[in-house]
Amino acid sequence: MGVSGWFKLGGRSIFSWAFTFQRLTGIVLLIYLCMHLTYLTTLLDKTGATYESMIALTVSKQFLIFDVLLVLCGVFHGINGFRIILHEFGIAYEYRKPLLAVALVLALAVWLYASYVMYYLTGG
Amino acid sequence: MSSESAKSVLEPVAWLLQMITGLLMIVFVTLHFYVTHMVSHEALHYQEVIARLNMPEFKVMYTVLLLIVSFHAFNGLRAIALDTNAGVRNRNAINTLTMLMFLVAFFYGLYLLISL
Amino acid sequence: MAEFKIRRFDGKKSFWQTFEVPAKKGMTVLEGLYYIKENLDSSLAFRASCRMGICGSCAMKINGKPRLACETQILFLGDKITVEPLDNFRVIKDLITDFEGFFAKHKAVKPYLIREDVKYEEPKELLQTPEELNEYYVFTLCIKCGACYSVCPAAATLDGYLGPAAMAAAYRFCADSRDKGNEERYEIASSSNGVWRCHLAMECSEVCPKNVEPAKAVQMLRRKTAFSILKSILRW
Repeated sequence: MGVSGWFKLGGRSIFSWAFTFQRLTGIVLLIYLCMHLTYLTTLLDKTGATYESMIALTVSKQFLIFDVLLVLCGVFHGINGFRIILHEFGIAYEYRKPLLAVALVLALAVWLYASYVMYYLTGG
Repeated sequence: MSSESAKSVLEPVAWLLQMITGLLMIVFVTLHFYVTHMVSHEALHYQEVIARLNMPEFKVMYTVLLLIVSFHAFNGLRAIALDTNAGVRNRNAINTLTMLMFLVAFFYGLYLLISL
Repeated sequence: MAEFKIRRFDGKKSFWQTFEVPAKKGMTVLEGLYYIKENLDSSLAFRASCRMGICGSCAMKINGKPRLACETQILFLGDKITVEPLDNFRVIKDLITDFEGFFAKHKAVKPYLIREDVKYEEPKELLQTPEELNEYYVFTLCIKCGACYSVCPAAATLDGYLGPAAMAAAYRFCADSRDKGNEERYEIASSSNGVWRCHLAMECSEVCPKNVEPAKAVQMLRRKTAFSILKSILRW
């Protein structure tokens, strides 16, 4: 089927979707890590002017949507990853359905809370 | 099927480290995010950042975070690439390349950390 | 009447064909396929044998999910049935797929007891407690129908991947107290096409018609494989 098998619609359980999103969010976070390190290069300008101009651009209302989406990726990847580690050690394998539900609810709650705080801090 | 690299040390070690770094990241990334985005965005001002980076406890924390994040990220990329036919055909190239990328990311970050 | 929409393949092109089947209560999808073959189109090709969920021949994608045609009742799914060959397998004709590779992978993990003291001239009784049997019993129920392999995202992108069924078989023997061939199987399982390619999508356990839980077997095999390699390195 090829890579399209990871994104096939229909006939898949929610576990398989969790796998697909774990991959997608992982790639997003990898790209973000590279961007983050590049971004921090501006710290080398010891006057701080370059860095401050970047902060003025990225810590803003216009940029908030990207931050919120990034946090969603991170929170999902972290909580879903924790669930997978539990199963890899044979823990709670029989309870995989409720555990997935708990993980998704928890990810949603953490994401909403973090988004709210960031919205509040950017003066929303 | 293929019995090549039957005793590959990289695979079990990478598998174990991927889990360990993953667990550590839950703690460290949350901490990192808490400091920069949860208390006040004042923390993102240049002077604040430089002051924080010069505190030994933060320097150690950021070094550890950098190490585990770069490993987790590029080992994850390695796993995704090796899941494909083309990936397994070029297994050694992928292993070398992703581990090299991990080292580049880590040492670049370390260079930033030290020079500030 | 039930409408059977079947994805067919004649060796060159793939096409959909629809048939009307008089469905009665209790009639299975396999019986529907036999009805079509006997009354409507004798060229329809599918594999089936035991009609009781034991032989593993008739796994096919029914309404988007791999199921055994002989254990799926038509009216349980409604009056519209879509039948397709399994994914991740090469289609030979209509619903018949190529299982050569699947069986070769099964063979590759040495799915039999390995012992040094087996002498056919002097057969020996191998004792086992019920607890020891329970360690692996559920994994013996596999009928090699290929449903797990057809939904595995790792098998979808990597042709050589051993797959859930073969690794469940490997674990079934590794967990058997009478077996002495663990090391040989760990070596096979630790190849690039083995345990490391599983990322726990757990789709295999979801579709298994015998509830074998292949995803669990792969996890346990991976743990054993990883620690056996790490142990051998540390000793050396």
